[in-house]
Amino acid sequence: MTLLEIKNLKVTFESSLGKVKAVEDISFKLMAGETLALVGETGSGKSTIAHSIMNILPPNAAVKGKILFRNQDLLQMSEKELSQIRGKEISLIMQNPALALNPVFSIGHQMTEPLVIHESLKKSKAILQAQDLLKRLHFKGPGVAIKSYPFEMSGGMKQRILIGISVILNPKVIIADEPTKGLDSRLKTMVLEELKLVKEMEHSSMLFISHDLHPAREISDQIAVLYAGEILESGLTVDFFKEPLHPYSKGLLESLPEKGFKPIPGTPPSMIHPPEGCKFHPRCPYKKEICTRKMPDKVTIKGRDVKCVLYN
Amino acid sequence: MCAVQLEIRNISKTYETGLFSKKRKSILKDISFRVEKGQTFGIVGESGTGKTTLGKIIAAIEKPTSGEIFFRGNPLKRKKEEFTTFRRKIQMMFQDPEGSLNPKKTIQRSLVEVLDLIKIPREKRTAVIQDILRTVGLSEEILVRYPNQISGGQNQRVTLARILLLKPELIILDEPTSALDTSVKAQILNLLKQLQQERNLTYVYISHDRDVIRFMCHDIGTIINGRLSSMSSSTVEGISQRV
Repeated sequence: MTLLEIKNLKVTFESSLGKVKAVEDISFKLMAGETLALVGETGSGKSTIAHSIMNILPPNAAVKGKILFRNQDLLQMSEKELSQIRGKEISLIMQNPALALNPVFSIGHQMTEPLVIHESLKKSKAILQAQDLLKRLHFKGPGVAIKSYPFEMSGGMKQRILIGISVILNPKVIIADEPTKGLDSRLKTMVLEELKLVKEMEHSSMLFISHDLHPAREISDQIAVLYAGEILESGLTVDFFKEPLHPYSKGLLESLPEKGFKPIPGTPPSMIHPPEGCKFHPRCPYKKEICTRKMPDKVTIKGRDVKCVLYN
Repeated sequence: MCAVQLEIRNISKTYETGLFSKKRKSILKDISFRVEKGQTFGIVGESGTGKTTLGKIIAAIEKPTSGEIFFRGNPLKRKKEEFTTFRRKIQMMFQDPEGSLNPKKTIQRSLVEVLDLIKIPREKRTAVIQDILRTVGLSEEILVRYPNQISGGQNQRVTLARILLLKPELIILDEPTSALDTSVKAQILNLLKQLQQERNLTYVYISHDRDVIRFMCHDIGTIINGRLSSMSSSTVEGISQRV
């Protein structure tokens, strides 16, 4: 069953240098109980998609297309209607735990706030529920954590608290935006285990956003590769890592440590003045003349959707 | 046999914590190691183990509680004129690409600032900037931009360009790629290796990423509970096993 469907999403930002084409004609589906990883380089539009779903883009953003949650278009909803969905039905685990937590409120206050607002729980009951959740997430000393302030916690602990806050209302869709960024390998593993646990506990679906392919491989069922605001390849995660189809996907996998850190030559294109045709063509080792003029159509090959002239 | 470029002898660092009842917290305990010229020494350990503190002590950004640092066989003096010379030979590159550059200055201004410091005459500046941009793989169009208008990888390249203008002999690299994408990380690591070979640079590479350490380092030390508990001077394979 499709829980969340993105249809022809386009997001542009007005800037002093021109119009930034952050997301261009993106479509995908998130099925119930499934984890979909959105991977790509910084600036490829991953977080913009997440923020579009939550409708928290800055005022200079223009959004077109449809974001259907249980067949209701989130982009057509009023702020009041959205406030019933944000946090309760769809929650976002923010990228930077140091900035996402309020430094002047205790962890207990921040964890119980959604329960007090959405569920009208009494503070004392909400505290017990928050402690219980931390316990289920294998948090050592939940009683102490509840009374602590963000500055008393490490980056990894803060990230785990953010996960707790995001799932305390049992949302149906969890959007995890780079939840393992900057963490060491031990904490990375811990956070991934926690995400798997909350997903199983709440039978939720997850949109996992990452520039790091390792956690995406570990946690996702489906994967979509973004480049300069477009999905170039999508399909089953297992198949993708076994045999990437798009030249950019191949380059990404070649740059992994186990392949010897072989870089993709060049840099991502300007999002204000992107190149004509396929946006990857200036860096592509397989480019043909047509790539400089026309963006290839999406084709389905080996069960995967790919946009490349090699398969047209 | 290679010359020893850097020697750390019995470095310890203790902080005082608490507002009313002072407590002493020992971060680094009796750390000693040597790095030969043109080699990379990796310092690994989990977050919060004092890796960055050790890097800052080597770069003279922080003072050790006890212990000595020898650079090219000479103990580091803290007199002002000697200190300035030493600081230029030892540079540090930080984790946060955007935070390393002044957000209110264009890239050109950030580079010219260094040229002012090393007193490069005006007529030579364009050529020097063109040369350094070529070295780190950046185009000239980046000069008019601000740090928030370029990517993380480009910011790290600009930081590296500023460092290289000072003609350092030793660079302390504190997780310089941890905030970067996989493909950009690969670009920066390969660039660092290439520069090391071309300029015979010595690196101290601080990271919690075992793959990066394995790729970059000749020797490693692991910080556990404030002590440098294991060291390897053997092969890369030996390093990977120890990490």
